Amino acid sequence: MSAAPLLEAVPLLQVEGLSCRFGGLLALNNVSLAVRQGEIFGLIGPNGAGKTTLFNVISALTPPSSGRVLWRGALIPASRPDQLSRLGLARTFQNLRLFDSLSVRDNVLVGLHRFAASPLAAGLLGSAGERRRQRQLEQRALELLALVALEDEADLPAASLPYGERRRLELARALATEPQLLLLDEPAAGMNPAEKNDLCGLIRTIRDRFDLTVMIIEHHVPLMMRLCDRLAVLNFGERIALGSPAAVRQDPRVIEAYLGSAR
Amino acid sequence: MELIQLLLNGLSLGAVYALFALGYTLVFSVLGVINFSHGAVFTLGAYFTYLLIGGQAGANGLLAGLQLPVALPFALALPLAGLASALVALLIERVAFRPLRQRGSDSLLALISSLGAGVILVNLIQLLMGAESYAIPIGTLGSLPAALRFAGAQVRTVQVLLLAISVLLLLLLSVWLEGTRSGKALQAVSEDPVTAQLLGIDSDGMIRLAFGISGFLAGVSGGLVGLSVSIAGPYFGISYGLKALGVLVLGGLGSVPGAMLGGLIIGLAEAFVPAEWSGWKDAVAYGFLFLILVLRPQGLLGRPLGTKV
Amino acid sequence: MDAGLLEQMLIGALLALSVYLPLRCGQLSLATPGFFAIGGTVAALLSTRIPIFAGTGATSPLPALLLEMTLAGLLAGLLALAIGGTVLRLRGIYLAIATIALVEILRVITLNLSFTGGALGIFGIPQPFTTTAGYAGFTLVLLALVCWLCARLEQLRLGRAMAAIRDDELAAACVGIDTAQVKLQAFVLSALLAGLTGALAAHFLNSWNAKVGSFDASITTLAFVVFGGSRTWLGPVIGGLVLSALPELLRPVGDLRLIVFGLVILLGPVLFPQGLITPQGLQGLGHRLLGYGQQLRGYGHKLLVRVNGPRRP
Repeated sequence: MSAAPLLEAVPLLQVEGLSCRFGGLLALNNVSLAVRQGEIFGLIGPNGAGKTTLFNVISALTPPSSGRVLWRGALIPASRPDQLSRLGLARTFQNLRLFDSLSVRDNVLVGLHRFAASPLAAGLLGSAGERRRQRQLEQRALELLALVALEDEADLPAASLPYGERRRLELARALATEPQLLLLDEPAAGMNPAEKNDLCGLIRTIRDRFDLTVMIIEHHVPLMMRLCDRLAVLNFGERIALGSPAAVRQDPRVIEAYLGSAR
Repeated sequence: MELIQLLLNGLSLGAVYALFALGYTLVFSVLGVINFSHGAVFTLGAYFTYLLIGGQAGANGLLAGLQLPVALPFALALPLAGLASALVALLIERVAFRPLRQRGSDSLLALISSLGAGVILVNLIQLLMGAESYAIPIGTLGSLPAALRFAGAQVRTVQVLLLAISVLLLLLLSVWLEGTRSGKALQAVSEDPVTAQLLGIDSDGMIRLAFGISGFLAGVSGGLVGLSVSIAGPYFGISYGLKALGVLVLGGLGSVPGAMLGGLIIGLAEAFVPAEWSGWKDAVAYGFLFLILVLRPQGLLGRPLGTKV
Repeated sequence: MDAGLLEQMLIGALLALSVYLPLRCGQLSLATPGFFAIGGTVAALLSTRIPIFAGTGATSPLPALLLEMTLAGLLAGLLALAIGGTVLRLRGIYLAIATIALVEILRVITLNLSFTGGALGIFGIPQPFTTTAGYAGFTLVLLALVCWLCARLEQLRLGRAMAAIRDDELAAACVGIDTAQVKLQAFVLSALLAGLTGALAAHFLNSWNAKVGSFDASITTLAFVVFGGSRTWLGPVIGGLVLSALPELLRPVGDLRLIVFGLVILLGPVLFPQGLITPQGLQGLGHRLLGYGQQLRGYGHKLLVRVNGPRRP
């Protein structure tokens, strides 16, 4: 293996030779990429290219057939989604997975689960310290809701929110876990152009404010070109391009496989 | 001679479990729900059979002393009892399952409402026929001898009959499922009801069919067990029903060959429990069930359980 | 009201809460009667065999009852802890069937061991209370305590995590909830509650045998929760109280009573798919009461103004 330049920092997340086979279908074929600390990294490709599968492998929901995922240069010492969450990984889902019977506020409070740890007995008896902690958590939940402009809906059941607000709530819930890497699976799906624009701004804001690294899947290519620092393009489970938006745009394989066929 | 007798005991018991479990499986595969009234329909089948062969109601129920004007031969009474049980199963589908299905309710609710239907049936039987046990006299079988000599051993005719009829029904069911249009349509509904509907299959009709067949199977096996070991009161189907759950999970929920295999294994295992341990016999099925759940949750012949992301 | 009936209702409510705890995180466990039976067996054995628990043989000291309940709860909880890790990997109907099997295995064991009295069970369990009203009073306090703890739990991290797992287990895991552990905690709490309730019930019933932990009991306790509603602790409590009283209340219809009971179980899910008690329903009721309250305050204010004259700014 060639010596890596010493000055370049270790990437936050590395995916090496990842393959994923479902029966006869090769959903991911030897995919490798690295996501650097602090960047917004886009993942584009036609439907069925394996983008969501890649997210699922990274977040330990789907075991890979071969290959490995490195976190800060080391093998991840965890195999369950909840352990990964504690490590600093959060995600949203393409088909939105909120806790529908809970209130908007409680959805975010569930995201704060890790920070609410207290002995069950102290909690049940409601000691003074416990009550103060509870208030702090609720305060934190409200701040996060304010960030995604949902503070007025805090007491509504999550199931009652319209589509776009549900997407923002899922984002707030993911942020509540205080991630270092945030995986967003089609966060702009079903939004109108103005909402998409707002979302772009919001993603940049949270990246800066929370010192985040963001990995994002989105179909709207112009939006991705504007938003992302770097992009990877998947097609039929293979990574066919990787680089800056400008470079990817001019890559002949991308034009042929993705942009060409999509037009 | 012991061995032959034990083997036959095990096989016939296993065949009954398999028939019972298949009734669960048919409904489970189309609805994804365990029909907890199944044991009560089994019991009902036994009582129907008893009445149809001309048996007299005991002294403790509302029907005290009642006797049907005709006494049918067993060969006719059994299928008729099966049909009557099928009608009851259809009625249960109508009142306990369909309203919930049409509303798209949680399948847990159907479990409860089907149980309510079972409670009603069992207590209705008790109200009408009393809590006493009934024996179906062996004379019902006409000129057949009570025991046969087989490979140098004495075996009860009833058990040979029980085994033969169960195996015949299991075979018919397999042929129907694999070899006919309606059988395949039922399988399609169990794979994916929405797609099946789009392909022009009448899902509701198939669900009714599944209930009807499972009711028929329950009724017939009830009659057969009643003939073999007598009807021990309105609650006698429940323990069979519970063990059949074990059979079901052992073989794999929703798998027809699995239900048969599971029935065979548990029936044989119970038959070979030594007499001095007979008190523990009832635990055999559940022990197996526990073991299989730990080692292979999808059952022997079931498909792996996956989660969708 | 007959104190004996009240005691049965209260025990029904406690058992309903025991079924509710795993169900709150989406786990359909029917093991409650098994743990209930274990708890009762512990109390029956201790208070008929061990002198310090037995008292005079006819009456036993109250502290002994409390200690028995604790031990019974702990034993049931430990058993739940031991098997929970394995059993709770199963989902939906598989878990339900596995827990039915557990109850049946425990029943067969109780039937076949000599020291549990076989099929006849254990008789002459001494009485810590001399009257049925004493039992009812004690159990009422216990139920109130358990309700308060359940209500608190729903506000806490564990209660929220439980509800989150019921709504979407995968999403719950992805926000950092150790779902296996939360489910195990709910299962152990459920067993603990059933165990200590069993210890109390054994004294109340005066005899204890394998029949208390049967499939029928599994389903009846589940019916409590489904009937009352499984979204908040009040549902199972109401369901347990009402359905335990029903067979008694229906005594006037004689032989028909179990048929009517069956009808209620059949129609309950059809007519009230969410159960009788839902958080939305409670909220609606709360708003209405709040409305009445404000109206009352308005009247009160007018009255004060009339008496004292307008307040100075």
